[in-house]
Amino acid sequence: MRLRKKRFMGMFLVVIFFLSFFILEYNFAQQVRQEEQEEKIQAKDVQEKIIPSPQNIKEQTGIYVFVAWMWIAIVVLIYILRLKIKEVDRLHKLRFLSVKKK
Amino acid sequence: MKTGIQFWLDERFGFSNITKFLKEKTVPQHKHSIWYYTGSAILLFFTIQVITGFMLVFYYKPTLGGANESVARIMTEVPLGWIIRSVHSWAASFMIAFVFIHLLSTWLAKSYRKPRELTWMSGVFLLAVSLAFGFTGYLLPWDDLSLSATKVGTDIPSSIPLVGVWVTKLLRGGEDVTGDTLTRFFGFHVSILPVFIFIFLGVHIYLIQKQGMSLPLAAEGKKEKVREIPFWPNFVFREMVVWLLLLGILFSLAIFFPPSLDKAADLMAAAPEGIKPEWYFLFLFQTLKIFPAKILFLNGDTLAVFLMLMGGILFFFLPLLDNKPAERKGRIITIIALAVIAYAVVMTIWSLL
Repeated sequence: MRLRKKRFMGMFLVVIFFLSFFILEYNFAQQVRQEEQEEKIQAKDVQEKIIPSPQNIKEQTGIYVFVAWMWIAIVVLIYILRLKIKEVDRLHKLRFLSVKKK
Repeated sequence: MKTGIQFWLDERFGFSNITKFLKEKTVPQHKHSIWYYTGSAILLFFTIQVITGFMLVFYYKPTLGGANESVARIMTEVPLGWIIRSVHSWAASFMIAFVFIHLLSTWLAKSYRKPRELTWMSGVFLLAVSLAFGFTGYLLPWDDLSLSATKVGTDIPSSIPLVGVWVTKLLRGGEDVTGDTLTRFFGFHVSILPVFIFIFLGVHIYLIQKQGMSLPLAAEGKKEKVREIPFWPNFVFREMVVWLLLLGILFSLAIFFPPSLDKAADLMAAAPEGIKPEWYFLFLFQTLKIFPAKILFLNGDTLAVFLMLMGGILFFFLPLLDNKPAERKGRIITIIALAVIAYAVVMTIWSLL
C-alpha cells in the first residue's frame, strides 16, 4: 500500500516535472512572442515618428557650412551697419540730413 | 534724381508723400528705446510666416487622410521642406513671444494712455489673432498630440453658459473634432485670420504713425526735451542690426531643433498621456487644471473660463480704466502687470514640470 502510494507520488512528481517544462515553455514562448510583438510595435512607432534631420553626410556638411557662412555674413553686415550708424548719427548732429522746411 | 518711370509712378501713387513722411519722421532716443525694436521684430516674423506659409501650402493637404501624410512628405521628400516647416514653426513662437513682450512693455510704460487707447486695443486684437493662428496651426499636422490638444482647447468654450456649446460646435464643425474640424481650421489659418491680421495691423501701424512713438512717463509729464533721431536712415539701420541677429537665431534654432511629426491621429484611439498645448497656452491650460471640479455650487471649469474672459476684457479696456496720469493708480497697474507676468511664468513652468 505504502509502496503504491510512493510510486503514485513519484509518477505524479514526474508528470508535474515534465508538464512544468511544457507550461514554462508555453509561458516563456508566449512572453517572448509578446515581447517581440511589443518591440515590433515600438519599432513601427519609432519609424512612424519623423524626426527631421539631414539625410546623409553631404547634406549635413552642407547645412553646417550654410550656418557658418550665415553667421559670418551676419557679423560682417552688423559691422558695416555699425559704421553706417556712426556716420548717419554724425551727419544728423551736423544737421546735414535735416529736411529743409519752408 | 528721379527717372521717368519714378515720375510716372509718383504721379499715380503719390509715393513722394510717403518718402517725405519717412524722412520727417523721428524716433525718440532714451533708456527705454530698446522696446521700440519689438514692434518691427514682430513684423519681421510675420513676413517670414507669410513667406514660409505660402511655400508649405503648395504641398499641404487639409484632409483627414492627406494632412499627416502631406506634412511627412514635406519633411522627407520636398527639397529643404523640413527646414521651411521648422522655420514656420519657430517663427510662430518668436512672433507670439514678441507680441507678448511688446504688449507687456506697453503696459508697464503706460503707453496705452490718451491718445493711444485705440492703438492698445488694436494691439490686443493682434495678440488674439496671433494666438488663434497658433491654435489653428497646431492641429494641421494631424498627429495624436495635436488632435487631443485641439479636443481640450475647443472644449473650453463649452463651459460658457448659453453660447458655449454653440461656439464649440462652430469651432469643431460638429459635435467632435473630426476631418471637418481640420478643414475648418485650415480655412481659418490661411484665409480668415490673415484678413483680420492685415486689417488690425493696418489700423495699428496707421495709429502709431498718426500718434507718434510714445515717450517715457517722466519725459511726457515734465515736457523735458528728449533726443530724437530720424526714422530714416538712423533708426532703420539700428533695426536692421536687430533683424539680422534675430534671423541668425531663428535659422540656427530651426536647423538644429526642428519639430518632429508623430504618426497620423486616430479618431477612435484613446487620448495619449501628457497632452500639452503650445507653450503660449500653458499658463491658461495649467489654470484650468488646478481649478477644482466644484467650487461651492458653481462648476469649476465655468468659473475658470469666466475669470479668464473677465481678465481678457479688463486687459482690452485697460486704457479706459487707467486714463489719467494718477501716480497711485499707475503704481497699482504696474504691480498688477508684474503679478500677471509672474503668474504666467510660474504656471508655464509648473505645467512643463
